[in-house]
Amino acid sequence: MCSPVSAQGAPVGDAAKGAQKNLQCSGCHGIDGWRTAFPEVYRVPRIGGQHEAYLVKALQQYKSGDRSHPSMRAVASALSEQDMADLAAYYSQGRVTTASK
Amino acid sequence: MMTRARSLLVLVAIVALGASAHAPAADLAAGKAKATEVCQACHGADGNSASADFPKLGGQYPDYLAKALRDYKSGQRKNPIMAGFAKPLSTQDIDNLAAYYASQPAAVSTRH
Repeated sequence: MCSPVSAQGAPVGDAAKGAQKNLQCSGCHGIDGWRTAFPEVYRVPRIGGQHEAYLVKALQQYKSGDRSHPSMRAVASALSEQDMADLAAYYSQGRVTTASK
Repeated sequence: MMTRARSLLVLVAIVALGASAHAPAADLAAGKAKATEVCQACHGADGNSASADFPKLGGQYPDYLAKALRDYKSGQRKNPIMAGFAKPLSTQDIDNLAAYYASQPAAVSTRH
C-alpha cells in the first residue's frame, strides 16, 4: 500500500493522521503566547491556519539546516516527508475547538 | 565620598535613560508605509497573501516576525528572496513592520 502522492511527487497530507503526530508540536505551538527561551526569547509562531505548503517548507528547512532553531531542527530531523505533509494538513486547518478542550 | 557615590548614581541614571531612548516604540504608520513599499507585492496589503508560497503574517506575534526578519537580514535564515528585502531594513524598520503585520486581521491562530 502506497500513500497518495501529488502530481509533483510530494506526499498528500492527511489532517487526521497529523493530529496523531503532533505531540511534540503542541507543547509549544499549542499554548497561546508560549515563548522559546533559547537561543533567543520570542513567542513561538502561531501556525493554525497557515498555508499548508509553507508549513511543509518550514519543516523541510529545519531538517536541512536552512532554518536553525535547535529544538525545531531536532523535531524536524525525525520527521518523514509524509509526517510533514500530515502535520501541515492538520495545522493549516486553523482553530478548531475540540471536545477535549 | 558621598558626593562621588551620588554623582556616580546620577551618571548611571543618565546612561540608563539614554539606552532606553534608543529603543523607541514601534511606529505603525511607518510600518504600513514600508510594508506598502517593500512587502505588499508578495504578502498582500494586510500580510495575508492568498498564495501558498508566502506565509500569512496577519495576527502573527510581532516578536516572531521581527526575529524572522533579523534572521533573513543576517543570513541565519536562508532565503534568497527574503534576504534581498531584509538586508536594507534598519532595526527600527523591522520593529515597525512586525508591529504593523501583527495588528492586521488575524489569519493565523494557536492550534492545539
